[in-house]
Amino acid sequence: MISACADGSDEQVIEVEVPGAAPPGLIESLGGPQGRVPQLVVECFFSHSSFDDPIVYPGDPGASHLHHFFGNHSTDANSTYESLIAADTTCNDQQDTAAYWTPALLDDGREVEPTKAVIYYRPGLDVDPAAIEVYPPGMAMISRLTAWTCGSAGTREQEPPECPSNRSLHLVVVFPDCWNGKDLDSIDHTVHVAYSGGGTCPDSHPRLLPQLTLTIEYPISGSGHDLSLSSGDLSTAHADFINSWNQEKLEADLGLCLARNVVCGVSR
Amino acid sequence: MRRIGAALGVLLLLAACGADPDDAVVRDTRTPRPATSAGTEPTESTEADPQPDEATDSTDMGSGPLLVPEQFPTIQQAVDAAVPGDLILISPGTYHEAVNVTTDELTIRGLSRADVILDGEFELDNGIRVLGANGVAIENMTAMNFTKNGFFWTGVEGYRGSYLTAYRTGDYGVYAFDSSKGLLEHSYAAGSPDAGFYIGECYTCDAVIDDVISEHNGLGYSGTNSGGNLLIVNSTFRFNRAGIVPNSGSYELCYPERETTIVGNLVYSNNQADTPAIDVAILAMGNGILSAGGVRNLIERNRVWDHDKTGIGLVPFLEENPADDQPPQSEWGRSCAESKSDAPPDPATVPEVVLWDSHDNEVRGNALSDNREGDLAVASAGTDISTLGNCFADNDFTRSRPSAVESLAPCGDPVSGDWSADSLDVATWLVEAASRPPSVNFQTAKLPPIPELDEMPNAADAPADPATNMPPSVDLAAIEVPAKP
Repeated sequence: MISACADGSDEQVIEVEVPGAAPPGLIESLGGPQGRVPQLVVECFFSHSSFDDPIVYPGDPGASHLHHFFGNHSTDANSTYESLIAADTTCNDQQDTAAYWTPALLDDGREVEPTKAVIYYRPGLDVDPAAIEVYPPGMAMISRLTAWTCGSAGTREQEPPECPSNRSLHLVVVFPDCWNGKDLDSIDHTVHVAYSGGGTCPDSHPRLLPQLTLTIEYPISGSGHDLSLSSGDLSTAHADFINSWNQEKLEADLGLCLARNVVCGVSR
Repeated sequence: MRRIGAALGVLLLLAACGADPDDAVVRDTRTPRPATSAGTEPTESTEADPQPDEATDSTDMGSGPLLVPEQFPTIQQAVDAAVPGDLILISPGTYHEAVNVTTDELTIRGLSRADVILDGEFELDNGIRVLGANGVAIENMTAMNFTKNGFFWTGVEGYRGSYLTAYRTGDYGVYAFDSSKGLLEHSYAAGSPDAGFYIGECYTCDAVIDDVISEHNGLGYSGTNSGGNLLIVNSTFRFNRAGIVPNSGSYELCYPERETTIVGNLVYSNNQADTPAIDVAILAMGNGILSAGGVRNLIERNRVWDHDKTGIGLVPFLEENPADDQPPQSEWGRSCAESKSDAPPDPATVPEVVLWDSHDNEVRGNALSDNREGDLAVASAGTDISTLGNCFADNDFTRSRPSAVESLAPCGDPVSGDWSADSLDVATWLVEAASRPPSVNFQTAKLPPIPELDEMPNAADAPADPATNMPPSVDLAAIEVPAKP
């Protein structure tokens, strides 16, 4: 959306569709009950935290803000695809040795250790699951499309809601599902990927990928919290992903679950 | 890079080690398919792809069963080589495989329930997973130590699991999701944090659970948003955190849970504090048969005893931050297929809280004793429970909550009387749950050894029996209240 003033008239708001940008309201609309679309679900416990970021500050330990890592046990500033695929994982699928991470959540300035991440691989909105390709090995990207919710299935909001004790706070991050077909990463770690719209990818990023969604669970509920992120205020929320799955397993499971249009598990 | 659909013909086999050759048994009464380059001995290979000449041209394979490991070193290779109608026979041995099935109407059978073991070694996810393949029957084997499920059907019409043992699995033991026309029978599940047996997201399910034992799980049985000709009969649910728990919730489709028939089961001592357990299992702990927001269920002629909470409880599920509102009663007859075609809910219309009450359930002729918060109970969290339409008749019990519930809510007659006497406040369960023993890691939870269990009769010689006419009819009227063991 952009704002424009013309000929002294009142400011107008004109909606402009930007190819590859996340359609307005996308992350909110991707909530709702599981089971409508096929999915592969992996649960990964919190692994470790450090001031490392192998995408933004590769080879430069301690250069980043504090990160929370899930999945691959070994992720640090010096991680490579080869080092990652050789490491263990915190995921309940032991073949998911991918690296997932987020900035650390802080409550009144103190680090809040997350409980786990639930990770969904699904078709994007209105996408034909049979047209989806597999992430190439080593592909890396960052997503800043985020929302907050209580529990794993509640309404997604832009500010953290006050959650009841049995529905703890979750950060939801939805990644792009289109790829330019060439680059495993890019200068800002986002321009090689884009979001689908109306079930198709923009011409600039024609290759359909799964839509990766991370939900990070924190032991936060009730009132009285002063939340921020190690990256800054809550508007700086984001997540990072390196595909270091066992590639054969990822390809097989995406074929078995997404292309066959079946639900390979649900989260609670 | 390939599209993922292109990968279907090459199913990944994970860490397939095959069987111990010393355990391999070949019965000469069968007509084996011609020997192939796969040889007759299992290997330590982790190769995923079957050899072309052994797996892709079924016309060369003869008409007999596919033998593992004699013809195919791994179960996956035999499954990949099979065509609809085939029988796969697995000789005793330990198979470190996670098998995926995408071919309709296979019969996958172990020659020994106790000695054909799929062992995930806490590295592999599912023992056998059937994905959108209709009519697949799995018989007479054990799956243990998988990080997700022992046996799993998803998105199928027609399924059967017979003489199965699931032990130490990270989600469910025996699991059917978004599937209909099924039978789970003569089977055993222990050591899952969720349910030993689970049938979810189906309406109508047209499924039967018959003669199973479920113990030392978070839940003996769970079924979220399932029902419609769904029968749970002649089975034993014991030593779980909670016994039989049909339940509703909007986090997955096809709500509410409805029309499950629970008849002739032994349900006892579901207070087990040392099991792995999901949060709901901890919340439901100490209950025998618990309808959590269930609708139009029939609970009849079960024997239920020794529970810290209720024997048979009809309680609400208070879903905070739900994914959708609950449908009006006029839509309870909608099929799952119809629900799937609905547009996702508009977040602006989703309430902050949904109270799934247990409605219109019928509780008849059960024998109950020593259920410490009430043999029978009905409760809500704000709704006048006299309006919920539940009824109770001909039960053998000592204490109900509220008192004299069979007089208050007799089946077939109008409700009357004082519903406040000795009523049950289930809100206290929420508070208590916070101090209950937490979940135990499923990999290390204390479990009894697998008991001696019935073997499938005539496993070596029985013909292929795909699950094409499921479920069988069940003579419910002939089922009596079972005696205590």
